[in-house]
Amino acid sequence: MKTISTLREKKRYLAFEIMSEKTISRQELVREILNSIISIYGDSGASQINPSLMSFDGKYGILRCEREKRVETRAGLACIHNIHGIDVSIIVLGISGTIKGATEKFIQQTLVNKPEPERKNNCDQ
Amino acid sequence: MMTRFGARFYDFYTYPVNATLMAAVGKRYGFSGINVIGRDPKEKIICPEDFSIYRGVEIRAKPSRIREEIRKYRGSDHILIVNGGEEDINRAAVETEGLDILIHPLEFNNVLAKAASDNSVSIGFNLGLLIRLRGEARVRELKTMWINLKHARKYKLQLMLTCSAQSIYDLRAPREMVAISSLFGMTEKEAVDAMSETPLNILRRKSPDYIQEGIEIL
Repeated sequence: MKTISTLREKKRYLAFEIMSEKTISRQELVREILNSIISIYGDSGASQINPSLMSFDGKYGILRCEREKRVETRAGLACIHNIHGIDVSIIVLGISGTIKGATEKFIQQTLVNKPEPERKNNCDQ
Repeated sequence: MMTRFGARFYDFYTYPVNATLMAAVGKRYGFSGINVIGRDPKEKIICPEDFSIYRGVEIRAKPSRIREEIRKYRGSDHILIVNGGEEDINRAAVETEGLDILIHPLEFNNVLAKAASDNSVSIGFNLGLLIRLRGEARVRELKTMWINLKHARKYKLQLMLTCSAQSIYDLRAPREMVAISSLFGMTEKEAVDAMSETPLNILRRKSPDYIQEGIEIL
């Protein structure tokens, strides 16, 4: 059953991008995000942050968290540096109130702007 | 509220293996410049548009030699950095005029903070330690950072944030660095100033027009 709107938890969606040498599986990423957050804030803090990975395609992903805990989630993501021996760094592209907003505003925008670095490389060579 | 992130951000302590790549990634993350340490000054680094690369020197010496080394580089336009450690290293570093940044000093106390304030030395916080360590080791580093921050606030020292990146995977974007710095009680304003105002201050001091605090050729 649905709860009344004032008691419903307020959520935010973080669009993020992973930089890594090899692709990382969804399962490994979920485990590492939870590990990192628990390592910083403990079990109680992690339950308040309530992170859950909504979608992930190997490079871009969307993570749901509690509205008031955006900074904590960011810190948790930023402290991930190694997944199964692969060096990674996660950058948060933006925060939105809906999955659609996060995808359209940040992830598709990034894909549109993508060809730029390649062109630069060609110039250098 | 978000306007604080319109500032120009700098990371003043990087040891890139591939400086060109590091500059490109730094630009993408929203930095306006990085300080490269331990590279040959003649080496050519391809610098992206609207991005600056500065050269720095990290002084690693015995406590008795640190003063001499700082005096040697004082006149140059290199950014001088000492990676702090035991008390005698920190003391030698902050008591010598001309040092720009003392990063992550252990056993920091009020006497050293006073000396750092007199010689306008900034205190650096090495977030790379928080990113790379876990468990007990991270707790120890966080504890040191709490103490350093407490002294820095009391004596109004300039703060400085860095990721001490060696590869591009060690680098973090400014907003992420602000989030990490909240782990040891730094406010958002302090963290943003630590990445934009303090580096700009150091650069101003290095410019040829600068003579002494308060005296400048306009």
